Amino acid sequence: MSKLMIRRIRVIVVIVIACFIVFAARLAYLQVLKHDYYWDRAEKNRYTKITLPATRGKIFDSQGRLLATNRPGYVVSLMDRGEGYDPETIDYLSEILQIDREEIEKAIEGRLYMRYLPLLLKSDLTPEAIARISEYRWKLKGVNIEIRPIREYREGSTAAHIIGFLGEGPVDEETRKLWAEAGYQYKEGDLVGQSGVERTWEPYLRGIDGEQLIETNNMGQPINYLERKEPIPGNDLYLTIDLDLQKAVEEALARRVEHLVKKEGNKHAGRASAVILDPNSGAILALANYPSYDLNTVHKNYADLSQDPRRPLMNSAIQAGYPIGSTFKMVTATAALEKGVMSERDIIRCGGVVSLYGDTKTCYRSTAHGAVNFYRALAVSCNIYFYHAGLRAGIDAVAHYAREYGFGSPTGLADLPGEAPGVVASREYKAAVTGGEPWYPAETMSAAIGQSYNSITPLQMANYVAMIANGGTHYRPYLVQKAVDSKGQVVYEAEPEPLRQAQISSRTLKILREGMRAVTLPRGTAYAYFSRLPVTAAGKTGSAEVSRNTPAHSLFVGYAPYENPQIAIAVIIEHGGIGATGAVPVAAEILEYYFTGQIKGVTDN
Amino acid sequence: MLNRRLIRNFDFYLLLIVIALCAVGTFTLYSATRNMEGLPDPLYFVKRQLLFMGVGAAIMLLVCFIDYVNFKNWTGYLYGANLVLLGLVLVIGEVEKGAMRRIPIGFFDLQPSEIAKVIIIITLARLLAEKEGQFPYFRDLFPSLAATALPMALIFLQPDLGTSLVFLAILLGMLYVAGAQGRHLGLLIGSGVAVSPIFWFYLLEEYQKNRLIAFINPELDPTDKGWQLLQSIIGIGSGGLLGKGPFNSTQVRLGFLPDHYTDMIFAVFGEEMGYVGAVSLLLLYTLLIYRIFWISTQAKDQFGALLCCGVAVMFFFQVMVNIGMTISLMPVTGIPLPFMSYGNNALLVNLTSIGLVLNVAMRRHKIQF
Repeated sequence: MSKLMIRRIRVIVVIVIACFIVFAARLAYLQVLKHDYYWDRAEKNRYTKITLPATRGKIFDSQGRLLATNRPGYVVSLMDRGEGYDPETIDYLSEILQIDREEIEKAIEGRLYMRYLPLLLKSDLTPEAIARISEYRWKLKGVNIEIRPIREYREGSTAAHIIGFLGEGPVDEETRKLWAEAGYQYKEGDLVGQSGVERTWEPYLRGIDGEQLIETNNMGQPINYLERKEPIPGNDLYLTIDLDLQKAVEEALARRVEHLVKKEGNKHAGRASAVILDPNSGAILALANYPSYDLNTVHKNYADLSQDPRRPLMNSAIQAGYPIGSTFKMVTATAALEKGVMSERDIIRCGGVVSLYGDTKTCYRSTAHGAVNFYRALAVSCNIYFYHAGLRAGIDAVAHYAREYGFGSPTGLADLPGEAPGVVASREYKAAVTGGEPWYPAETMSAAIGQSYNSITPLQMANYVAMIANGGTHYRPYLVQKAVDSKGQVVYEAEPEPLRQAQISSRTLKILREGMRAVTLPRGTAYAYFSRLPVTAAGKTGSAEVSRNTPAHSLFVGYAPYENPQIAIAVIIEHGGIGATGAVPVAAEILEYYFTGQIKGVTDN
Repeated sequence: MLNRRLIRNFDFYLLLIVIALCAVGTFTLYSATRNMEGLPDPLYFVKRQLLFMGVGAAIMLLVCFIDYVNFKNWTGYLYGANLVLLGLVLVIGEVEKGAMRRIPIGFFDLQPSEIAKVIIIITLARLLAEKEGQFPYFRDLFPSLAATALPMALIFLQPDLGTSLVFLAILLGMLYVAGAQGRHLGLLIGSGVAVSPIFWFYLLEEYQKNRLIAFINPELDPTDKGWQLLQSIIGIGSGGLLGKGPFNSTQVRLGFLPDHYTDMIFAVFGEEMGYVGAVSLLLLYTLLIYRIFWISTQAKDQFGALLCCGVAVMFFFQVMVNIGMTISLMPVTGIPLPFMSYGNNALLVNLTSIGLVLNVAMRRHKIQF
């Protein structure tokens, strides 16, 4: 053997040893240095977590009648069973489910490993769609039909603005944080409450999803079922509203609006709201808006609903601020009485028209009320009396007492999202919105009868009259009486929560109650309907001017029984005309229903 | 024919290494195939592998009886017969994975490209030994080049890129040891690199290109070629220092690793036996190659020495490319791991070539240095 050969063999042996070292180093990198990473990857290969959705809590009324529940619905999903997605199957599904082909293709694109897991295409299939899919099941590849709970609203449109509906809509950062504190970590795409109690009580209603760990093979087929964490069902909610009363309120509103439109030819009457509170606790007994919408079909009709000029999706009872006209007069009276600039017995002469500070103002239809004291003035709703009362007290006092009654800030209802604060007409507010313009006495006159910048929600109106009725306590309004977990344990029970006591003397409040009582008695503006009620009541009518071309908003606030208030009520019919013909009959019907369980004879339509 | 001197020179070290590799290989094969679906018997592959191991061992010992010098005279016949078989494959071969590689004979498929490896080693050893280390001109390389090019071209046509690359490795390795001039070899490699774009654009199949792309970036396409590579690395990496233990490869059990009992068997071994096992196996291969080279230096003539070098280079190249592929240091080429991957022909050929080396060792001169 030549020396050259031996040398060259040595060279190759050196290369062999070098290769060995490089390979050993590479193995050390993979198996020792990066072991944890690859171990993890191998585990991820093996395991799939399947979410076991928790059953959402039911929603009941105060009497335990079912409002929202879950029913089994069919969902269809598509997966790759290891042969790739079948184009024919996609064609067929796109036709039956009425989803664009491109949409399905976009959803399955780039799913890689995930392609072996079912992709949800559509939930709550119609029986026809299920029948058609089942018919062709033998030739559809990778199609699963499963049963999943679908939210069902037993009463359709009743209490829609209170209950709310579910959806995958966006959730802002603040809400996410709030939910996280309550133990629910929101993930993009979760089905969550979009409005109403479904929204505000989301973490309590949804429960905690369970998990099933599955060992799968490369086709995503389950090989072994491993750990299972059972889902914890959500809590059931019992609301403070009474379903029968709620329905009666909704029907009364609808009936009246239709009556105004058809019988009285008022083309403008359309939207209406009513809020019924327990003045001794703040519990909301009913809260209604007309028109409403059906919770079960809201998704299908969403486009139409959101473009409807009557805005059925809006919860006006807590979100819309209105000038409240004469129903504001108790505020003005409070200011005058508390400041001592006027006594309830002081007489003002009303000639129907008054010219003060270069402005001419009138009473309704320029009616001359003659000599009126406070009681008379409130009963007949004499504007001129309250112009004088407002001017004597001054705008600052009027605004101060408006705030004492809770106007200008949310009432504190936490069970519904988006309560509006409203506006109190004041020197400061005007300066802020006009860039520093001064306040004129003529504006005080407007503000004194609930016009000007005043903007108040129906809930604030109900809370205001409840405060007059209960002696000045502002209770936090609430809708959820209690939450009960799946084992029947009461996990939350609402207690009346007095937020604050208005700094108004009980003597003044008593005078106001007496004045409001007169409104429902002979010669009072609400007497026509209230005379037929089997219960004593107190209240105040209102007509709020909004423009020259449309009828005024028709309003009423009141409570009953007069001696021992059990319910406080606020009604508004937008452009419903004067209070006596729009809101008053609605309030009378509601009171009749509340105290007798039926509606007959209080109104004649 | 066998005298005491021959028996005294029998290389038990080499035999021991080969027995160890066969044992590890059989055991890993059992682990990789025992739970395979659709097998008539969990030991199906193991039994077949053991059967061919027995036949291979018999051939190996048989080869030892015939003085290897005789093979020199049979080179022509062997080479000719092999070409006929390789040609036959293209005509009547069985299609497997888009390539024609096998001729079915009874219960066993003949794979002439495997047999061609050992025949080209014998042929080159004879051609190069005649030169006695003298290659003054580039044309002196031509006979060897032509002899290699013919079977290699037939194999490339099957197409089987991996095996044809083994031929290239054997050719270069043997030319180098035989004493070809460095600059001539450089010229050879240089012209090979120069014509490689032609291969890329005209001769490589789409799947072969995809494998090369997947090698460069396995995460690029985790659903196809890269998937195999990625799963192999995940398996090996998850094995850790000491491995998951015999029969505990989850990558195999759950079907994440394609070709786990053939080309990818090292990934199974690495996952189950860990770093310690994998490096031990690498060491065993290194010892095998080293021992064959050592025997080559002891050979009594050029022919015997070159024979051993050819066998050593063949093993080295296959081990390097196969293991390199599983740990992503080499592209996926479909070259089996000697004594580990399931494959009847490869096992027969590997044991036969070990027989040749043992033969050379038995008939060596007294110690030279």
